[in-house]
Amino acid sequence: MSGITLPSTATSAVAPAVPAPVRKSRRRRHDWTGLVYVAPALVLVVGFFLVPLCMTAWMSLHNWPLMGNPRWIGTANYKALWSDYNFWNALLFTLRYTVAATAGLMLVGLALALLVEKPRRMAGFYRTAFFMPVVIGFASASLLWAWLSNVDSGLFSALAQAFGLTEGRVNLLATFEPAFWSVTIMVIWKMAGFYMVILMSGLQAIPPDYLEAARIDGAGFLQRFRHITLPLIRRPFALALILCVSGSMLAFDHFYIILAGGPQNRTITAVYWIFNQSFVSFRLGYGAALSMVLLAILVVLSVIQLRLLRDREDAR
Amino acid sequence: MKTWFFGLGALAAGLLAGPGAADAETFSLWVRSDGSTFMPKVVEAFNASQSAHKAELQIVPVNELVQKYAVAAAGGTAPDALSLDLIYTPAFAAAGQLKDITDLAKALPYFDQLSKAHVATGTYENRIYGLPFSGDASVLVWNKALFRQAGLDPDRGPTNWAEIRADAEKITALGQGNKGFYFSGNCGGCSIFTFTPLIWASGGDIFADGGKRATLDTPQLRDAIALYRGMVKDGLVPAGAQTDTGANFFAAFATGKVGIAPAGSFAIGALNTQHPNLEYGVTYLPGKDGGWSSFAGGDNLVVSRDTRKIAGIRAFLEFAYSLEGQTLLARNGSLPVRADLAKQALDGLDRRYLIAADAMARGRTPYTPVCNDLINSANGPWNTMLNAAVFGDAGAVEPAIRTAQETMQSIIDTAP
Repeated sequence: MSGITLPSTATSAVAPAVPAPVRKSRRRRHDWTGLVYVAPALVLVVGFFLVPLCMTAWMSLHNWPLMGNPRWIGTANYKALWSDYNFWNALLFTLRYTVAATAGLMLVGLALALLVEKPRRMAGFYRTAFFMPVVIGFASASLLWAWLSNVDSGLFSALAQAFGLTEGRVNLLATFEPAFWSVTIMVIWKMAGFYMVILMSGLQAIPPDYLEAARIDGAGFLQRFRHITLPLIRRPFALALILCVSGSMLAFDHFYIILAGGPQNRTITAVYWIFNQSFVSFRLGYGAALSMVLLAILVVLSVIQLRLLRDREDAR
Repeated sequence: MKTWFFGLGALAAGLLAGPGAADAETFSLWVRSDGSTFMPKVVEAFNASQSAHKAELQIVPVNELVQKYAVAAAGGTAPDALSLDLIYTPAFAAAGQLKDITDLAKALPYFDQLSKAHVATGTYENRIYGLPFSGDASVLVWNKALFRQAGLDPDRGPTNWAEIRADAEKITALGQGNKGFYFSGNCGGCSIFTFTPLIWASGGDIFADGGKRATLDTPQLRDAIALYRGMVKDGLVPAGAQTDTGANFFAAFATGKVGIAPAGSFAIGALNTQHPNLEYGVTYLPGKDGGWSSFAGGDNLVVSRDTRKIAGIRAFLEFAYSLEGQTLLARNGSLPVRADLAKQALDGLDRRYLIAADAMARGRTPYTPVCNDLINSANGPWNTMLNAAVFGDAGAVEPAIRTAQETMQSIIDTAP
């Protein structure tokens, strides 16, 4: 994640070439005070991330039922996982969903950010309106959507029929394509405001002189966008992209609540499968092994994104 | 590794609670949220009825009960007793979490009057680990107003499949959004409760050899699927049934636009209080050519392995099995589980309860320690098969049954 931080921290970490004795001791004292400052954060990270992570790794080496006694089985969970057709299928579906959701969220988020970035009349109102869905919980939004999509008493099917788009009422959740897109659109509706805020902060940090100079030189809107705006929001864009991809890879609630993995188990995400193994089949150890694999995949994906979006100065 | 952590918690709790312990010996009792109406009343009455023991009740959200209990058990802070969805009793007993209460059970003079289905699921390897506590039987309900409108006898519910189909057709023909039949088509828990009785009543079963063998590949199952398939295909069922994960299980019939629906006895109380104007009848879930069956659901009372408060739990059970206890249960949404007192306990209540109580007394419950995997999971073989076979193409029926049969058998065989 270090790529997100400012380059200044990266350079300051390099020790000075010729340390004088006096400065050295002061520096050491500095180090200690620094440690005190980060200690609370460190405690949280150790307590709520590192320790559970180690426990998960430990559990993944056991046959660990939800009830009863765990038994050491070494890497057997990982070997079993290798041929777990359902898990890889779920992962494939998760990737497909991630691509769809990320593309939608980034495009809509950027469009909204461009729309509300300048302090226009009513900009505050629109910003608030676009951000509102973000503060609804995923579970409540999913329940809302489940009812809106209900073919007998919901809104969408009736609306489509009234507009003459469909002949009779169509059950949106009964076949894969409409069900998948219905959920994806819900996610875009709900989360676009969040990415709008991130990207907007980037847009606002672009000095207006650049754009003005370009305009005077005769650059059109698209040219300005392509050659000035996009390169300058690289950092917030990278942040938004990584959050979006890792968030989508961990999708669970909406597929669980709206579709229950249906139609015909085709919308089971990786986390859904982990949940099923752990709390439906009571195989916590196996679920832990799946979680470790998913974590590794997420780390790889994040590193790839950081590399692709790295600033040229960092690369040197 | 989890144990020491929870152990510390238990120690701390013990130190805090130590000096204040009352004269009465207190035992802890958990119940799933489905029992949140009757359980507090029974516990309150029990605590008031004597002073030697005191039950301390905690209500746990139904979907979290198993996880919560498992975590507590791992940490040594499991409740002394638990009112557990009866289908989970074999799984809990198999995991070695429960106390063998065979002697306690056999010593009850009315042991042979207790719900057979509950005791059967409470038995694991010939020892008893759970005793019946609350009851919920599956039945068929029909809307009398719609029957009258359609020119059918409003006081006579369907008694075989052909009648279900014929009645549903007539009600659908009324139009105006009225449909003949409803079921939750994507809910494994709902369909084991209401669909298997159709198979049982026709002489089939989905398990054999005490849950060791899955037997889906039967003519009875095919016929039952064909009944549902046919009604779906001919538009006698609202389209939402296909994707109903159980949210509409009760609500659809309560709208008054559905002619016939399988339901549970809990629906009687709920309909009477929430929809007092809905005229409905209750009958048994019939077999193909008559006869009937029912899924006996509800809770078993189980005792945690390490508890030492067995005297208090025995007293609590005896109170629950008394006429007072059974009456309290009956008035608050559960069926009585003691057959010889059922009539008395239900005296003065809606007569439709009697049918449910009768259904319960002769009801059945599938027995398997992997019920969650096989049946309840929305993604398990049972639900996947039914959804595909009932709503899919005609060609999907046979592959769906074959796949489910294989998957179920392999889950049973590889169960730990």
